[in-house]
Formats: sequence, structure tokens, C-alpha cells
Amino acid sequence: MKLSPEEKRIMDKMQPGILTVDGFLGNDTRNLHEILQEDAETIEAYGYTAEDIGKRMRYFTERSKEAYEEPILIDQKYLVQQDIWRGKVVCPFPHKGLYTKADIHLKNIENNIEISWTPLNIHFIEEHGFFEGKGSKHRIDPETIIKALF
Amino acid sequence: MEILYNILTATIISGSLSIILVIAEYFFANYGDCKITVNNKKEIVVKGGGNLLNALAENKIFIPSACGGRGSCGFCKVKALDGAGPVLPTEKPYLSASELKDSIRLSCQIKVRQDIKIHIPEELFNIKKFKAKIVEIIDYTYDIKGITFQLLEPNTVDFKAGQYMQLETPKYEKSKQVISRAYSISSIPDIKDSIQLIIRRVPDGICTTWVHDYMKLGDIVNLVGPFGDFYIRDTEADIIYVAGGSGKAPIKSMIEHFAKYQSTRKMTYFFGARTTKDLYLTEEFQEYEKTMPDFTYVPVLSAPSPDDGWTGKTGFIPPYFKDYIRDPLNTEAYLCGSPGMIAAVEKELINLGVAKDKIYFDSF
Ligand SMILES: Cc1cc2nc3c(=O)[nH]c(=O)nc-3n(C[C@H](O)[C@H](O)[C@H](O)COP(=O)(O)OP(=O)(O)OC[C@H]3O[C@@H](n4cnc5c(N)ncnc54)[C@H](O)[C@@H]3O)c2cc1C
Ligand code: FES
Ligand SMILES: [Zn+2]
Repeated sequence: MKLSPEEKRIMDKMQPGILTVDGFLGNDTRNLHEILQEDAETIEAYGYTAEDIGKRMRYFTERSKEAYEEPILIDQKYLVQQDIWRGKVVCPFPHKGLYTKADIHLKNIENNIEISWTPLNIHFIEEHGFFEGKGSKHRIDPETIIKALF
Repeated sequence: MEILYNILTATIISGSLSIILVIAEYFFANYGDCKITVNNKKEIVVKGGGNLLNALAENKIFIPSACGGRGSCGFCKVKALDGAGPVLPTEKPYLSASELKDSIRLSCQIKVRQDIKIHIPEELFNIKKFKAKIVEIIDYTYDIKGITFQLLEPNTVDFKAGQYMQLETPKYEKSKQVISRAYSISSIPDIKDSIQLIIRRVPDGICTTWVHDYMKLGDIVNLVGPFGDFYIRDTEADIIYVAGGSGKAPIKSMIEHFAKYQSTRKMTYFFGARTTKDLYLTEEFQEYEKTMPDFTYVPVLSAPSPDDGWTGKTGFIPPYFKDYIRDPLNTEAYLCGSPGMIAAVEKELINLGVAKDKIYFDSF
């Protein structure tokens, strides 16, 4: 399908060197709507919604703030550490909002799955169902995050 | 998920139409000279066709922007009194109902096609764009650099200790366009012909990657500013400072300024860091304890490693406040850190009796 002007505008903003060094699409050759669709299907197959995943990420992000950038064991199962940088980053989708620059690292100590995300990732997933393109350093693989967080 | 449906309902017709409009505008649009009247007192004449944010900047009026005019930060608001055309769909997400009613617009989205009248806050007239040369780069830690910029044009600056500048990062291998980021000034206001910034590397950061891996002595860059209302209030109150990492930049400017005038104010600076690797400018701040009899520098490590041999304070900072505050009602605080850190510090200071409105902060 041909890209709508809106999808094109968003994908242009997602290119490397526009809003962030590496952009948001990695080396994925699919269009944005295809990326969104496939990831939506994956999480549906596991019986979750993007909102469920976002809510869980937000929970660990908030809880780990209690440790002021030191590692913290949450619910006896998740080792979480957060680096908070200065400044805020914008979303490539057209709307108002700024997201803290931070990196949250989580290890599920039962199955040893490790995953990292940023506050922008939480917003992407909750509001846009966007997990980033394949090959993007900050892509949140839906399957991995479900296994890590639930 | 609304966006997914918007995208899927795209039509080839709308795509082609917008291409035709762009081509038509390129070949046929000639808006001639347009007059921009600012605050009913300054008139500038520009060639029509560009956006208002750039037209103003070319005429040395700098409206704050965090996205370089790409319509994604919502910082570049001005009150458009006349001639700005209809509000665009790209602006609407950033404007509240009351702003829309009040004719507030995003200046980067307004095309100058006719005479325009706008209103901006008076203080924006003091903001300048400086061409500057990088004359010193100091590695303070493994991820923090201090960079001194000699101002070339204009060649002096007036600012208050605690304010910040926007640094424009040039296009480089990893950035297709000029981007700008805010950095607190770490040098003192008395030095007018140069400024220092303290910049911490952010992994995969577009500006900090340039600063840490590409920038070199002699490079010429643009700085815009000064901005911000985080500065020392003109009182004689005792002061508690709390800031770690690159948050030291504005506090350094404030304390060095006091040191220059051998201030006798009672001041305590708590510098939070993880390990000794994250400490910097320690000797310099200990030196200020000698110039200023009532100044104390208190580095606190949250996770010293056994090899650090650290004998100083450890853990969280707030429990230490009670030992350093002598009169809470006559104490101000200046904090620079993450919202979580600021909330915890503010809570403890208020517990000890410091007035909430005397706690000033620059939140990450
Ligand atoms: C008033 C003010 C004063 C400041 N003063 C200072 C100062 O004195 N010193 C200092 O060092 N800093 C300061 N800052 C911060 C500074 O402005 C920059 O924000 C900071 O240096 C990072 O900029 P950057 O371009 O390197 O990062 P950016 O490229 O803008 O952002 C990087 C961040 O974006 C996110 N991100 C990137 N790619 C992705 C992706 N694909 N998916 C999800 N998330 C992603 C991550 O969270 C990453 O950490 C200040 C900020 C403000 C507002
Ligand atoms: S400059 Fe960022 S929205 Fe206009
Ligand atoms: Zn968004």
C-alpha cells in the first residue's frame, strides 16, 4: 500500500540523525503500518495488549526510581536499575509531549531474560503500539518483553 | 492506535494533491517582502515564504525551541495578533483550548506570506546568538567534559549564574541537521568573553555523541541564550545546594561567583555521585572552603567500591541535612537533579522547616 502523507511524515522523523542518532526503524524494510500491525498480532497471540505491557514497564520504571540509580530487587524477581540523564526527548508521532532521557535495565532473575527501555519506549508502546523497527537498538521485542515482565 | 487507522486510510489522491501544491508553491509563490511587527515596537522586513521562527532568528529575535523548528517540541509559542493564517493541524496538538482562544501559535509552523503582527515576552529581546570557538576541553570524568567557548560575535555575554545556553551541534556523520540542546553555564558571569559548559555523555545522544567523539579544539559553533530562571536570589540567607553529575554546572557558576567576592554566607554543597570515578573538581571546591570561611563541600557516594578507599559520607544525601542547617527559616536551597531526587530532597528540607517557596530547582 502507498504511504499516506502522515505516515511518510512520521517515518521521515524516525530516520537516523533526525530526532535521535540511530532513529527508530533500525534496518527494517517494512512500512510503519506493517511494523505496527505485526507487533500487534504478536502480543495479541500471547493474550496481552500494548497497554498491559506499557503499564508493567511503567511500574518497574517508577519503582526503580526509589533506588536513585542504584539496582533494586522488585517483587523478589526483577532486578532493575535506572540511569537518568538530563533533558527530554520528543516523539516522532505528531502530538504534544516530552519524555525523560533515561535507560531502565531489567533482569528477570528467574528466567535470566534481560531487557532495557527508555521512557519514550513506554510512551511508544502505550500510545502508539510501536515497539520500533527491527535492528533498532531500542527495539523492544514483544515476545522478549512479555517473557521478561509477566 | 488511532494513528494506525489514520495511516491505513491514506489515499493516493491526498498524496498526489499535496505534491502538486508543493510544486505549485515552489514555482509560483512569490510573497515579496513581508513586515513582521513585534510587540508593537519593532518592525522587521523579511522575504516572504519562510517560517516565522527562522525569520525572527535571522533578525536576532530568538524564540525558545527544543526541536529546531520541526514542530515537535511545542516550545516556540508566540501570540499571533494578525496575518498568521489559520492554525495548522501540525500545531493543534501543542495548543490548549485557552491558548487557541488567545491566538497562541507555534512560530515554526507559521509561514510568512503577508504582514504579520505578533507579541512575545519582553525578556526574549535579551537573547542573542553567539558565534563561538572551542578553546579548551577538559576531561573531568570518564563521561563528563568541561568545554570552554570563546565568544567571537558578539564577543561578550551578560547572564546570571545558573542560567543556560542552547548549543547548536553542527551536522555531522550521525546527525543530518543542526540540532540544539540546553546546557547550564558553569563559568561565572564576571567572565564575559567566554563561557564554560559541562557536558555529560548520554549513550546514543545526538548532541553528546558529537561533543564527546567529534568536537575538537578550534571548532566554531553557535550558542543561543541566556535562558532560564534558575539563579541565585538576592538575599543573605544560608544556602543548601544539592546536585550531582552534570548538575554541578549551574552550581559551579553560583559558588565560583560567591568565591570571587569571598562571600561570608553560610553555604553547603552536597555533591552526589556513585563512586570515586564520578567525582570531579573536588580540589577546586575544597579550595573554596578556604576562600569562604562558611562554605562546606560535602561529596556523598551512593555506591563506593571497596577499592575506592572512600572514607567520606555515603548513602542518601537528605539524612545529612540536619547537621548543616542552623536556621531553616533563613535557608534557601538550589537543587539540580532528577525529579525523583528533587522530590526526596524537597521533602526532607520542608520536614526540617525550610519554606517550600525558598527551594529553587532545575529539574532534569
Ligand atoms: C535547562 C537544561 C539545562 C541542561 N543543562 C545540562 C548540562 O549542564 N549538562 C548536561 O550534560 N546536560 C544538560 N542538559 C541536558 C541536555 O540538554 C541534553 O538533553 C543532553 O545532553 C542529551 O542530549 P543528546 O542530544 O545527546 O541526547 P538525545 O539524542 O536528544 O537523546 C538521547 C535519549 O533519547 C532516548 N532515545 C534515543 N533513541 C531512542 C530510541 N530509538 N528509542 C527510545 N528512546 C530513544 C534515550 O532516552 C536516550 O537517552 C540540560 C537540559 C536542560 C533542559
Ligand atoms: S520549534 Fe519545536 S515546535 Fe516549533
Ligand atoms: Zn507519541
